[in-house]
Amino acid sequence: MRILELKGVNKSFGGLKAVEDFNLSIEEGGILGLIGPNGAGKSTIFNCIAGVYPPTAGEIYFKGENITHQRPWDLCRKGLARTFQIVKPFSSRTVLYNVTVGAFATTGKRAEAERRALKVLRLLHMQDVKDVRASTLTIAYLKRLEIARALATQPKLLLLDEVMAGLRPTEVDEMVKIIKELRESGVTIFVIEHIMRAIMALSDRIAVLHFGKKITEGTPKEVASDERVIKAYLGEEYGTA
Amino acid sequence: MQFILEDIINGILMGSIYGLAALGLTVIFGVLKVINFAHGSLLMVGMYVAYWAVILTGLHPYLALVIVVPVMFLFGYFLQDIVIKPIFKAEKAVREPITVIIVTTGVWYILDNLSLLVFGPQYRNLQDNPLRGKMLEVGGMLLSVPRLWGFFAALLTAFAIYLFFQKTRTGRAIRATSIDREAASLQGINQYKVYNLAVGIGTAAAGIAGVSLVPFYNIFPSVGVLFDIKCFIIVVLGGLGSIAGALLGGMIIGVIEYVGTQFMAATWTEAIVYGLFLVFLFLKPSGLFGVKYEW
Amino acid sequence: MGRNTIRIGPLVLAGVIALGLPLAVRSATYLHILVLLYLYAYLTTSWNLVGGFAGVLPLGHSAFVGIGAYTSTVLSLQYGISPWIGMMIGGILAAIVGVIIGLPTFKMRGAYFALATIAFAEGIRVMVENIDNLGPIRLNGPRGLQIPPLNTGLLNFMFATKEPYYYIILFMLAGVLFLTYAISRSKLGHYLVAGGEEPEAAMALGVNVARAKLIAMAMSSFLTAFAGTFWAQFTLYIHPKSVMSLDISFEIAFIALIGGRGSIAGPVLGALLLRPVTDLSRIYFGGKLPGLHLIIFGVVLVLVMIYQPRGLQEPLTRAYRSVTKKLFGHTEAA
Repeated sequence: MRILELKGVNKSFGGLKAVEDFNLSIEEGGILGLIGPNGAGKSTIFNCIAGVYPPTAGEIYFKGENITHQRPWDLCRKGLARTFQIVKPFSSRTVLYNVTVGAFATTGKRAEAERRALKVLRLLHMQDVKDVRASTLTIAYLKRLEIARALATQPKLLLLDEVMAGLRPTEVDEMVKIIKELRESGVTIFVIEHIMRAIMALSDRIAVLHFGKKITEGTPKEVASDERVIKAYLGEEYGTA
Repeated sequence: MQFILEDIINGILMGSIYGLAALGLTVIFGVLKVINFAHGSLLMVGMYVAYWAVILTGLHPYLALVIVVPVMFLFGYFLQDIVIKPIFKAEKAVREPITVIIVTTGVWYILDNLSLLVFGPQYRNLQDNPLRGKMLEVGGMLLSVPRLWGFFAALLTAFAIYLFFQKTRTGRAIRATSIDREAASLQGINQYKVYNLAVGIGTAAAGIAGVSLVPFYNIFPSVGVLFDIKCFIIVVLGGLGSIAGALLGGMIIGVIEYVGTQFMAATWTEAIVYGLFLVFLFLKPSGLFGVKYEW
Repeated sequence: MGRNTIRIGPLVLAGVIALGLPLAVRSATYLHILVLLYLYAYLTTSWNLVGGFAGVLPLGHSAFVGIGAYTSTVLSLQYGISPWIGMMIGGILAAIVGVIIGLPTFKMRGAYFALATIAFAEGIRVMVENIDNLGPIRLNGPRGLQIPPLNTGLLNFMFATKEPYYYIILFMLAGVLFLTYAISRSKLGHYLVAGGEEPEAAMALGVNVARAKLIAMAMSSFLTAFAGTFWAQFTLYIHPKSVMSLDISFEIAFIALIGGRGSIAGPVLGALLLRPVTDLSRIYFGGKLPGLHLIIFGVVLVLVMIYQPRGLQEPLTRAYRSVTKKLFGHTEAA
């Protein structure tokens, strides 16, 4: 079934039209990628979906329910989680604490939340750093922490916002593996990414955004050979960022 | 009817002096993006400096400006340089360090009580100064002469500061830093020097306010406390960073006080001022002229 | 030596000492100072629930002290209601006022929030100072209310000696410390920390930051009001300047900050370090060097904020840990 549907979503900031007439749907269990040049409006769409601000026009449906004007914390309870492009860890606390915050989304007991947090950390191969203060982590671990926290909320749909940015090629491959494993465990994934190799490897389908409008959508192969996409990226190379 | 007009005008005059006092605060905020809780104490220091300048040199109170302005400028400059700069350096990422609020409150405690220790708690005033109690009659109304002078001082100072920021190179450098400190420093502007200058200017303005007050206001160690909160209210009303806003905000407060006391106890006018303050904080935190910050 | 022993050891020791202190300290003056010490430790720990965990800087908590003091006093003087019940009612009233204040102000950040809390507290104080009678209720404006020391006894929350007050405030302090500890480990505690550090991320993780802050505010103001009732019963005289002044709000906040807000031990530590300075310097120097304690206070404030913005509990805890490590060896569990 369609776990996420965007119908005619528009978002303007004052006079600036960031997103125009955007339509999209994601099937449950799939991985959808969203690419586009910088400033195309990708994060804006994420923010609209995640409830940071409502779209100026249009509707968003999650699991069939109209969630257009709902706030982030309610959406999280319903199974929609997201990461941030610029990581926002709770720096003064340990990795475990950070993930436990997420785990509390579906329980009120600390013991249970911590147990789930540890499970998530093991899933992401982070159990060795569980007692490390977040402020001392490397960017690779910080990105993973973002995912771990979001994962701890037991989401049905996970929005990943450029989780590969700043990672080395080996780290990128590891992350791709992790995301694929997440899909195996039943999480639908919507990912924004600049690193072409990663998003081509991950996605079932890819949508391309340019100046706020969707210019095409299709399988990775279709999109890679689409002339409009190549034009939009003029100069962008297929490979590592 | 005439009395109300007289109250309104006297309120405007006194209010402009409040505005002058708040001018420094708004300048400091506009540039450093911090609220200086010690501002009232700086005003108090200005008043004491003016007082001692007159007593020791026998100068006319307004001529004491010659001493007060540079002394206060340097005081503010080094206060920023020695006490507040370390915090800016430590909290680089945070745009509005709460720590600075706390530190400036510490400075307030120190200054107020140091002057209590050194000067004693007694109220002082310039008994024999040529302006004390002088009134001017205009159209049947009695206007206070020192407050009238204060009004002009406020306008002049505000205008001078405005010109400084618009026309001089240093002034523009300060404005650049206040808009974007990183971009400005990339242009070769030393942001910490800019901060020192801004605080120096703000403190000098407080000094001018002090000189305006000294002919008719009592001078005592905790005089700053009365003005401190008033200045915050004025600055929020007028808009943090706005020079015109500070003057206008001050005048509004002055009028409320002078007209209000005709109809109710002084402490109720206080409550009204607080109420107005809260209304602005909730509904229009950017004040009358201020820029909207991401608060 | 087990890890828990090192953690709990000093607490037990402190508890035992605190319980036995009145037997050793006979002077009423010093007992009075100790009571004030615990009172401020209680106030700062209650403040910490909002100011520490929620990450905001409330500078108007004296309003809640005043609400607590006036509520229980008016109820006992005019309607003969036991101060204990009055304390509860005062707490509930304070919690309501706290939420009302919090609703619009939590949206503001940094200095605006601080200024708004100041304005609220001062506004309330000014109003109480101006009102002699609120309908049937006698507030007596600036003159305040005096409690005649007539009926002593636990039920009336009135005692002839200082010792019972000492134990009551000690008990209250222990209670509030335990509560803080429990909250820090709970869901609310985690949510407050998250909301304070990175509100956007917290919201994305299911945290209703505004609601968590309001809950913390309600708790904090509720507990702070208790201190007002205690103060009224201890000093038997309350007036706006004594229970609602800005000085009290500032002192609470700054003691907590110097000790280390956001931690459990911080506020208590701050009170332990600073209150004696205030009281002793006022006793010994009050006449000759007025205001000295505030100068010291200000200097400490400035220095701590520049060099240890997280408060003194951080270096002190570290020092304690390294000392115990040297004395008792590594005690990390496998």
